[in-house]
Amino acid sequence: MSDALHFAEHTLQEIALIFMAVVYIIRLLWIFHFKAGRDRQAPTGAFNTTPAKGALYSLANIMMPWGMESTRKKPLFYIQFVIFHLGVVSAILLSFIIPYGPSLLESQFIAAILHSSIGLACLVGCIRMIRRITKPVMRAISSPDDYFSLALLTAWFFFAFWAVPNNTQNGETILLIYFWMTAFFLIYVPFSKISHYLYYPITRYYLGKTLGHRGVYPFKRSNRPEVVNH
Amino acid sequence: MKNRSYKAEKVIELLGKKLNRQIVGSLAACVHCGMCTEMCHYVLTNPDDPTYAPAYKGDQLRKIFKRHYDWTGRVFPWWVKAKSVYTDEDLEALKDTVFGKCTNCRRCTINCPMGVDLASFNRMARGLLVSVGIMPEGVAVVSKDQWEIGNQMGVLKEDYLDTLEWMEEELQDELEDETVKIPVDKMNCDVVYSINPREVKYDPRTIADAAKIFHFAGENWTMPSEGWDMTNFGLFSGDDDLGGSVGRRLYEKVEELRGKKLVISECGHGYRSTRCEAPNWGKLDVPFEMESSVITMLRYIKEGKIKVDKTRNQEPVTFHDSCNNARSCGLFDEPRELLNLVVTDFREMYPNKAENYCCTGGGGAMSMTEYTPRRLKSAKIKADQLTATGAKIVVTSCHNCVDGLTDLIRHYKLDIKVAQLVNLTANALVIPEKISLPEEAAVKRIPEPSTDNVLAGKKILIADDEPDILTFFSTVLEDNGAEVITALNGKEAVELIRKEKPDLVTLDLNMPEMDGGKVFEILRKDPELADIPVCIITGRPELRRLIYDRPVKAPEGYLDKPVDEDTLIINIRKILEVKKHSSK
Ligand code: SF4
Ligand code: SF4
Repeated sequence: MSDALHFAEHTLQEIALIFMAVVYIIRLLWIFHFKAGRDRQAPTGAFNTTPAKGALYSLANIMMPWGMESTRKKPLFYIQFVIFHLGVVSAILLSFIIPYGPSLLESQFIAAILHSSIGLACLVGCIRMIRRITKPVMRAISSPDDYFSLALLTAWFFFAFWAVPNNTQNGETILLIYFWMTAFFLIYVPFSKISHYLYYPITRYYLGKTLGHRGVYPFKRSNRPEVVNH
Repeated sequence: MKNRSYKAEKVIELLGKKLNRQIVGSLAACVHCGMCTEMCHYVLTNPDDPTYAPAYKGDQLRKIFKRHYDWTGRVFPWWVKAKSVYTDEDLEALKDTVFGKCTNCRRCTINCPMGVDLASFNRMARGLLVSVGIMPEGVAVVSKDQWEIGNQMGVLKEDYLDTLEWMEEELQDELEDETVKIPVDKMNCDVVYSINPREVKYDPRTIADAAKIFHFAGENWTMPSEGWDMTNFGLFSGDDDLGGSVGRRLYEKVEELRGKKLVISECGHGYRSTRCEAPNWGKLDVPFEMESSVITMLRYIKEGKIKVDKTRNQEPVTFHDSCNNARSCGLFDEPRELLNLVVTDFREMYPNKAENYCCTGGGGAMSMTEYTPRRLKSAKIKADQLTATGAKIVVTSCHNCVDGLTDLIRHYKLDIKVAQLVNLTANALVIPEKISLPEEAAVKRIPEPSTDNVLAGKKILIADDEPDILTFFSTVLEDNGAEVITALNGKEAVELIRKEKPDLVTLDLNMPEMDGGKVFEILRKDPELADIPVCIITGRPELRRLIYDRPVKAPEGYLDKPVDEDTLIINIRKILEVKKHSSK
């Protein structure tokens, strides 16, 4: 392994990770310095709903595609969402496996999982980019950051896919690009929409707490008319 | 650096003060995934216009937030589409979105994977604009009425009390029982009943129906003489100060009467505001229980306090969930349980409960006449939902939805009536033996306006410069037995009133030669004409001050155009009845 690759796999990643963590901490302090609104009123709705149940339901909502009409009606979109995010997890894992546990990649099974999840995520990234560019409504709501973040992740998947074998025999270019991209990704994330996962627990917790207090969460789906008609 | 208008400066400053953790989360967390897009009724009816997409609408406030309060937006505004507001025109554009393109129905919220609560910050954006005086005219008028008169329809205290008295007499006649009362300001009651001013003005039968139910349930109840309006325009205008103060007015009255429980009549935004939001807006801890009248009625049936016979309501019925009830207060199972007890053929519309679509009149949309065409276009979704059920009656526990649904039903020419649970429950009520009535009387509803010559022998003058209105009002009134005289302008109206001495005058405000305000003042100042009851009927609510600012006795009635047949007759009848009783 060259010094350049060693630097990219280790020192560079560590610097980027520390930077990301510091910025995230600042970001969390910033959001928590805003006071949270509270619900003073007595609870409404079904007696067995509570703020805690509501918050829990809300946080888990994304794993229940049947829970929201938007995911229920668009199963393909939901599957894309799952694949894309699994790809992110795999590509991040890869950035730790290669420097700290390369022997894991000797397992055909692990390599295949990483390969397929990252490869499919790359495909989904392309589909999503096409959707964002071709649909007028998506264009209308997209900012340069939205396009760039998606392009960055898709390209990152692409290089992660080829980096999976962790093979330097045919050169280190792919691995170098992958690790430099990972470092850039880590530094860029806190300033971009990719940092949404930092907000996710906050928005979902408070929405769930409120809607739990009001008897809306855990959510009761619409009854199909055939079921209730007399 | 661009110059910024005073109002724009103020909006930015106030935005900073209003931000809380929930709102900041919602403003920061949107990933522009577009999942919420097709969840909005505006989008479904305007598929080619991306400006209706919830995320796009949310971005109109988000970009200001990012430009001033979020770091990336402050450093690289163009990268995250952060943008400030500079001129009053920028604020007008924001107004068009937050008031004219969103009913705050929260349907996108419950469908956003990130939990972005667009409806909450859209309301906040409305409040920011209202605080600098930028709002639709109707919102200004209604807010002013609620601040100054104490209710959002400008119903005067006398008018309210007269209506209660009138309904009490009608009930006594109907049940042939003088003990039936609508108590006012009774102390130490178990239930204090609050209503929507719309009930006084357009639908007094709901008051009578509720009174009938309380009576037969043997409830120890009362209505307050003041602070009786449970609606709260603060919810729609985003004005927390107004919201808190309206709530406080109501709570203080209940405490003053030492009431044990506040029962809120069927109104989605009224229930949400009074029950859930006003304690937060006004930072108030409410020491008594509050309950929707839907829950009260259901409880009476379950506890055996009232008996109902569902065969009295045999027409197919569907139920429309008010967004405020279902999505913000979890009130969706109880109305269905009650419906199943009082009707024989209940058909669910789809989607329903907390997933139901907005009636499209929510968020104060009914008071913003400039957006009516948009509203009615978006109402196609609800019209299709209703039609698919095959129901003849759509029931809703919300007065706002009653208006929204009535308007869309008229617009899309559907053969469906709108009713509330209180109407169907009162109709299904089994009157106890000792005062049992013939079947026909038991199901009689108050008032049945256009059935016979209810205005026989009455001479009514209609003053309006729109020939179509004159023709419509004349036909309706003549069909009900009245003798009608018409005047096309203010001057002609005064001459005809002097000559004919009608029993009642309906007066448009905006008329050539002499405006309605002037006509009204002339009438009131002339001892011979001063007692003729006047009902103002105008399409310009902002002109209401032309009347109320005059140093003369207020008009006996007031209606906003458009006015339908039932509303016209109910109000004319009420004014004439009240006049008859007061001159006895
Ligand atoms: S669904 Fe939520 S995150 Fe996605 S665009 Fe809509 S508001 Fe934004
Ligand atoms: S709150 Fe309702 S009207 Fe407003 S954008 Fe969301 S779905 Fe549309």
